[in-house]
Amino acid sequence: MTTVSVDGVEVEVAAGTTILEAAQLAGRWVPTVCYDERQAPFGACRVCMVGVVGSPKPLPACTTPCRDGMEIETEEPTARRVSRAVVELVLSELPEAPAPHTELAQVAERLAVGEPRWGGAVHRRDDDLRHPYLALRHELCISCGRCVRACDEVQGAFALTATGRGFEANIAAGLDAGFEESSCVSCGACADTCPTDAISEISLVKRLKGA
Amino acid sequence: MAIAIPTDVKTSDERFDRTATTTCGYCGVGCRLETRASGGRIVSIGPALDGPANEGHTCLKGRFAHGFTRSPDRLRTPLIREDGELRPATWEEALDRIVAELERIKGAHGADALAGLASSRATNEDCYAMTRLMRAAVGTNNIDNCSRVCHSPTSFALRKSFGLSGATGSFTDLDQAEVALLLGVNPTQGHPVVGARIKQAALRGCKLITIDPRRIELADYGQVHLAPRPGTNAAVVLGLCHVVRRDGMLDEGFIAARTEGYEALEELLAGYDPQAVEEVTGIPAADLEAAAHLYGEAGSGSLLWGLGVTEHKYGSEVVQLLCNLAMMTGKVGKPGSALLPLRGQNNVQGSSDMGALPDTYTAYRSVEDEEVAASFEAAWGAPLSRRKGLTIPQMFDAAVAGELKAMYIFGEDIAQTDPDTAHVIAALESLEFVVCQEIFPNETTKFADVVLPASAFLEKEGTFINAERRFQIVEPAIDPPGEARTDFEIIGEVCRRLGHETGWRSPWDALDEIARLTPEYAGVSRARLGRQGLQWPVRPDGTDSPTLYDTVFDRPGGRGHFAALPYKAPGDAADQDFPLILVTGRILQHYNAGTMTRRTGNATLVDRDLLEIHPLDAERLWVKDGDRVSVRSRVGRIEIEAKVTERIEPGHVFTTFHFPETRTNLLVGQSADVNTSCPEYKVIAVDVRPMSEEPAFIPVVADVS
Repeated sequence: MTTVSVDGVEVEVAAGTTILEAAQLAGRWVPTVCYDERQAPFGACRVCMVGVVGSPKPLPACTTPCRDGMEIETEEPTARRVSRAVVELVLSELPEAPAPHTELAQVAERLAVGEPRWGGAVHRRDDDLRHPYLALRHELCISCGRCVRACDEVQGAFALTATGRGFEANIAAGLDAGFEESSCVSCGACADTCPTDAISEISLVKRLKGA
Repeated sequence: MAIAIPTDVKTSDERFDRTATTTCGYCGVGCRLETRASGGRIVSIGPALDGPANEGHTCLKGRFAHGFTRSPDRLRTPLIREDGELRPATWEEALDRIVAELERIKGAHGADALAGLASSRATNEDCYAMTRLMRAAVGTNNIDNCSRVCHSPTSFALRKSFGLSGATGSFTDLDQAEVALLLGVNPTQGHPVVGARIKQAALRGCKLITIDPRRIELADYGQVHLAPRPGTNAAVVLGLCHVVRRDGMLDEGFIAARTEGYEALEELLAGYDPQAVEEVTGIPAADLEAAAHLYGEAGSGSLLWGLGVTEHKYGSEVVQLLCNLAMMTGKVGKPGSALLPLRGQNNVQGSSDMGALPDTYTAYRSVEDEEVAASFEAAWGAPLSRRKGLTIPQMFDAAVAGELKAMYIFGEDIAQTDPDTAHVIAALESLEFVVCQEIFPNETTKFADVVLPASAFLEKEGTFINAERRFQIVEPAIDPPGEARTDFEIIGEVCRRLGHETGWRSPWDALDEIARLTPEYAGVSRARLGRQGLQWPVRPDGTDSPTLYDTVFDRPGGRGHFAALPYKAPGDAADQDFPLILVTGRILQHYNAGTMTRRTGNATLVDRDLLEIHPLDAERLWVKDGDRVSVRSRVGRIEIEAKVTERIEPGHVFTTFHFPETRTNLLVGQSADVNTSCPEYKVIAVDVRPMSEEPAFIPVVADVS
């Protein structure tokens, strides 16, 4: 067993346990966006940064394994500044604030990230509402990869792909021809995991729009 | 493990005014669901992250196919037949009519002139109440449920070989198995969440052996795919056993210490060398040997099967043979080595566990067992018949013969789903009185004298038992629409009006009674089930049983039984007049008779049944993809659209039975499992012809120049 302390709380963990899992055992909150317990840790979003005593810079909690004697500080100022900045940058690319029930909105609220300070380009609106159940609103995609991994690692349909680079990064169903023309089996695991409602249930989108 | 922000934040948001955690009412996997409703309608359903069978996943049926609950054609008031037509009626009128007719027929012809059907779609408590209605309030053992036509052979065989009627392990065994052998089951279509689990296991290195006349999706992820001729499963399994023995892959210690009857099997196996099996099944000998070695040499291996095993003339015997294979290699009762029958409906396990069968009380205890019958007599305060009742097919025969006069049909569309539709309709027309307790008008309600509007799984409370023997709680997400009532309430009311007071205030009282009267479920209670459920047997202290038979089998002497059962030909065979073999089954987007899924967006995804046919057969018959074809069997004829695909072997065709306009079951004859009378839906000799004879290709005329 390995013993670590999280904000002063000592926990014993099995070998291979990540800092994020140890923090959860200790009852401490670490902000996450690209993390889903049903999927292998991905480490893409850099929101789960924490301080570790002796480390020259913050470390991502979801992919860093615990070492014996590690002293973890979830609210270490540099780490927290990175988390906030990342969330703020992500928000700045969206044409509208994410709906209050989404994970991204809740993380932003808890980190006290308000209206982004940076103006500039936002994602172009591009809604695919052809499927009977699944809405794909590309403008809300933050390229966290959770839907792609849910499709691969939970369902095994391999229907979603990451596309584009940089600001144009997004996701596509099949060869961007929509869910029905892809290998999608309509399980909805992507909508279930999406932290921004870029993929969501079409019935809920219609409700949002008052239809 | 809890996560920092629950993925499931949507449960606590203001878009919804009612949330519940319940158990899915589609297939037998038993996914736990989080339901969210607003204004009396379901708005969204997601998976429960802590669901033991689904671990945060669902398929499109459990998640999305809930719109049927508020479909405009839902039954919202009772209906009674008057001058040949069904008309809306009050509950008083409907119940009065039922009681008057049941009492009249019982008075004139005796209690055995009445029969009831419980439903594998309903809760344990509903089914148990139905047994009490038929046994105590009416006084007959004429009660059966639709597991008769799907997994009754599994139940029969597991009891014969091992002792208990249920899977020997849990779905988690699939995460640990080195190899999984799938016989006559297509999980990515029929049991999608388990299908996804198997696919993930395969991607991590679990080796798959798939055995099916169709090249199922999981075959693409496996090591060996065997495509036997339909109806030859027994020869396949005997062949696997032969190779296991011949090539020294036996677990002799296990056979000696834990089993009986091996010698007789050994003698039988001599005749099933791979070449002999190839003759019968069409499976290349080398492929059979490769499959036997994969399974036999693995440290752990699980066996899965479905209706492709059971819905045959010798279905129950093939399940016994699978048990042989597991015992020969010692692959039972250990982590990763489980026998997992994939149950078709949400509560196939439970409806039979609850004694909704003509010959047993709860936990498969015989109605002829004096001690058991006396315990129910004491609890119910009514004399109970010691004579076995009729199975579903026997009910139809008795109705046509004029011996059965009335049926109370709860949650089963027999005119759509049972085999030999013409015979079923003749039976329904022969009856003097038919009650249907349903959520929609269907093919069977056309013959009903009274139709009672009941509740869907999302509108009731109680428990289901999944394919892992797990009791799980069902909670209402919404209320039944209009004047519809819960099934439990309706059955209790009918009992009361027939002069039999149940004393139950809710399904939980019935569950307590079931636990009190059944040693196998002694420790089951609502509080103990909680969010995770319990796998029976459950001891009085609440300890449950994820794995069975780790030390002894549940048979006299504690030994597993080897059954020496030879291969016998199926009930139907291709011949000159009917040269193709039809196999029927279901697909991902729809569920059985389609009563629910056809009334949801799933019908946008798939809106018809299709006949799968191999390109070689299609070319020979001048059938093109999308053509309408006529399919004729010895008992009936249907018209359907063809789909040309290499998923099916030449000589075989496949279709589903989801759409009433197709009426696939018109083609199915009377052939049935020899032990349980489960119909042979999987081997039907047919003749396929294009509806219009346009050449699918221009025949090449020999060049004589």
